[in-house]
Amino acid sequence: MIISRRFSIIWWKSKMREEILRVFSFYFFLGKKSARTRTFFLVSSVSILMALIIRAYQLAGYWTENGQVIFQNFLMVFFLQFLIVLLGLFYGTSILAEEVEGRTMSYITTRPVRRAALITGKYLAYLSLVSIMLISTVLISYLILNLGRDFRLDDIGTVFRYFIILWLGLAAYMSFFNFLGAWLKKPILVGLAFGFGWESIIQYFPGTTQKLSVAHYLKSLLPQYTSSSGKLGFLFIRLEPTKPGLAVLILIAIILVFLILASLIFSYKEYLFEE
Amino acid sequence: MTAVIEATSLSRWYGNVLGISDISLEIQPGITALLGPNGAGKSTFMKIITGQLKANLGQVRIYGQKVWNNNQIFHRLGFCPEVDAFYEELNGLEFLSGLLSLYGFRKAECLKLAEQALKIVELQDVKLRPIRSYSRGMRQRLKVAQALAHDPEILILDEPLSGLDPLSKRRLIKLIKELRTKGKTIVVSSHILPEVEAMTSEIILIHHGKILAKGDIYFIRELLDTHPHMIKIKSPQFRELASWLAPEDYILNITFESESQAVIFETHHRDRFFDRLNELVLNSDLNLEEITSPDDNLQAVFDYLVEK
Repeated sequence: MIISRRFSIIWWKSKMREEILRVFSFYFFLGKKSARTRTFFLVSSVSILMALIIRAYQLAGYWTENGQVIFQNFLMVFFLQFLIVLLGLFYGTSILAEEVEGRTMSYITTRPVRRAALITGKYLAYLSLVSIMLISTVLISYLILNLGRDFRLDDIGTVFRYFIILWLGLAAYMSFFNFLGAWLKKPILVGLAFGFGWESIIQYFPGTTQKLSVAHYLKSLLPQYTSSSGKLGFLFIRLEPTKPGLAVLILIAIILVFLILASLIFSYKEYLFEE
Repeated sequence: MTAVIEATSLSRWYGNVLGISDISLEIQPGITALLGPNGAGKSTFMKIITGQLKANLGQVRIYGQKVWNNNQIFHRLGFCPEVDAFYEELNGLEFLSGLLSLYGFRKAECLKLAEQALKIVELQDVKLRPIRSYSRGMRQRLKVAQALAHDPEILILDEPLSGLDPLSKRRLIKLIKELRTKGKTIVVSSHILPEVEAMTSEIILIHHGKILAKGDIYFIRELLDTHPHMIKIKSPQFRELASWLAPEDYILNITFESESQAVIFETHHRDRFFDRLNELVLNSDLNLEEITSPDDNLQAVFDYLVEK
């Protein structure tokens, strides 16, 4: 009995994985061809332009901090508080909203694929696409800002850590916004209010209130954290960081919980786009 | 014969608006047309039988299996939606092979099946063109192609002929009829009666969310004995013919169409009328050019049933 139950769980898992992979490859291909991907690739490339401008200021002597410090501030302001929220919002909410608005929902819901696999596969496809976008722009920006400096082995570790933080943030935001997209008819407005309102304002509140945001756990993971250093230090002056291990666990929990919730909603909700 | 699709007491409403009410029916292999005006409940019924909507009451089974949240049924079922919507960035081949990949076919197999489906709907020449550049007819045929590409036993086609030019309509009707000969079960919806008539005589009339009539169109017509049959006869001797038949007690009304040299009889007893007509043809030099039944079509049945 136990063996057969275990066997059926393993079978279900492998079936589910196979279905997720099918959906992943379809939407990864579709995502690569979409006009939105090109648009957001251009938006992310703004960071490269900004890095070039900062670097020019640095060379002219207007900016005295070294590349590492500037990059960390740049990461905070542009990537962490703007780009990953924006990408997470538009890609996360579009996972279901674009099927409803584009009236293509019936193409995917009449295929032999579980709805949970559909939403998970599409989420992973879009996450992978945006991660590629993000990694390339972060890497180029880092190199521009640190050009001419002697690179050490530690630098690779630091850059890798930045990637992990940004990726966790992107995955968490996208999962949350995916949930909003599955739940609400018009998720963008609520998403904008959350991503650029709540997430920013709550950081200035002391105590545990700030822990009700994704940004708090991301900032807690930043290396060489200094609460008031640099020209932009005022932006995170109130941060009372959570321990890094716990912050990672909470971010993973956010990703999983909202992905499961979105899958449940999608499995039982009817999307009436014609009536 | 075992029913392929079996609906029992299906009801579905949207808030206070009724979609369908207490629909029970069985659909057998062949072409079955779901006929009714816009808003009659055809799309709601189709969405329920394809598992996109859940019935508030009742249940639907396909090959004895429930449909709602049973994704495995889609190996045996293809659905062509009414809406003109696509992943516009893709070309025809990518669209079909991409959707086929969701069935778990390998890449080479997806391409092979997609090519086959494109050939069936005569789109192989434009397969590499982006879908956004397709004409309405091409788009409609591509929608049908995605429904049949995995060779399902059941095809549910929601208004497949809508917006097509006459040539494309004829092509698609021909294709649907060919699919019937392959033993498929095809459910097709339409609100345009002659289109349905060209495809099948097996109909389900639906209006205000309820089934008004179901079965063979001619059989339904026979059931409507409260309404007279109309028989139009074209003959150079149309006036003589009218005078010979006028005394018969089953003739209710006679109308002349002098320009076309035709006469229209209204009768409650079609069989008796034709028996007498046969006698006249055999026993006189009556020359008949054409016999038609102008009300023996879906429009007439539909009008009678909804009491227009």
